[in-house]
Amino acid sequence: MAHIPDGVLSAPVLIGGAVLAVGGLTLGLRRLDESEIPKTAILASTFFVASLVAVPVGPSSVHLLLSGLMGLVLGLRAIPAVFVGLLLQAVLFGFGGLTSLGVDLVNIAFPGVAAALLARPLLARAQGFGAAAIGAGVAAFSVLGTTACVSAALALSSADYLPSLRVIALTYIPLALVEAVITGFVIAYLKRVKPESLGLTAQPEGAA
Amino acid sequence: MKRVFPICAVLLVLAAPRPAWAHRLKLFLTVEDGALGGYAFFVGSGRPEGSAVIVKDGGGHELYRGKTDDHGAFRWKPPVAADYAVTVDAGDGHWVEGFLAADRFGAPAAAPTPATPLPPSSASAPKPETSACAQPDSAALARLVEAQVDKAVARQLRPLIESYDLAEGRVRLNDVMGGIGMIVGLAGMGLWGLARRRKASDRD
Repeated sequence: MAHIPDGVLSAPVLIGGAVLAVGGLTLGLRRLDESEIPKTAILASTFFVASLVAVPVGPSSVHLLLSGLMGLVLGLRAIPAVFVGLLLQAVLFGFGGLTSLGVDLVNIAFPGVAAALLARPLLARAQGFGAAAIGAGVAAFSVLGTTACVSAALALSSADYLPSLRVIALTYIPLALVEAVITGFVIAYLKRVKPESLGLTAQPEGAA
Repeated sequence: MKRVFPICAVLLVLAAPRPAWAHRLKLFLTVEDGALGGYAFFVGSGRPEGSAVIVKDGGGHELYRGKTDDHGAFRWKPPVAADYAVTVDAGDGHWVEGFLAADRFGAPAAAPTPATPLPPSSASAPKPETSACAQPDSAALARLVEAQVDKAVARQLRPLIESYDLAEGRVRLNDVMGGIGMIVGLAGMGLWGLARRRKASDRD
């Protein structure tokens, strides 16, 4: 779903996506300093590999996105990380088109980053189960946000590609639940063991 | 940060032993007995069930709209041999298009013809039994043989084309490792650039 191929979307949607993507990339790259590059690269690799593993679900097939986790750990830097992963997937495997790269980046990275930025002040105060719940909420919101963005991009391009609600309900709601569980565990663990990886101790909010 | 390494490693190990894991809708198209058929599949695993199948002609006019069965398969007999574009839309942004050229339909379209010209030729030409009858017969026979050969070749080639389509979309471990290597290289280049910039500003 999230990897939209070439030739499906209309030109205005592609251009709009590309403009938003360039804006996001600029913001993300400005925040990349020496100490953050390795972490960003590791999560970019994780995204690259994790979203190659597809699981058949009902009438379609889904894969992990981990955009909520990336948003929480990397903040705006998740945008360049997702971009690199998507670019390599498109070039090496033909997953998603090169012209739709901007739209795909917006669809996958932006909901995760937005949810994470909103949830970060809450996460700074949460402990244990609370942190897990926030991580889970961010992940679920990210997946549903991605679904909404993909649906909007397709619907705006042509009525022919109007996604079917039945397929979305059957495939993305399970995906949102799985991502919620994974992200909840990882965030609770990081919060307990290494809160600075979430940018929390040194600079409590919106750490750059 | 160090703890993200094990996650990466686990994901890699989980993914590695399988021959293919991926996520792209692909289309296998074939012509059998003059009918256009085949199936859509997700590279790695799964077939889209109940997805829309749309056949358009060369001019982009919609000729047929149907659904894939439980195995992602479909079949439609076109009225004439022509260029067709087949689209399968899984309904959630998964979308694939394939093309069949008119000459793929050549023999099966001709196959029914021997049945019709044969009776008139034998009925209207009762006198010159041997010589006149032999001509249409051999032409009909040639068409019949061609149709049968096409059918047999299609049957033999089908598994080959299927496995080729499968192999073409397969995600290989080498590519995955290459991608990770590129990300590591990119991170190194970023660090190098930042270090150079800092060195330059320290000197000033």
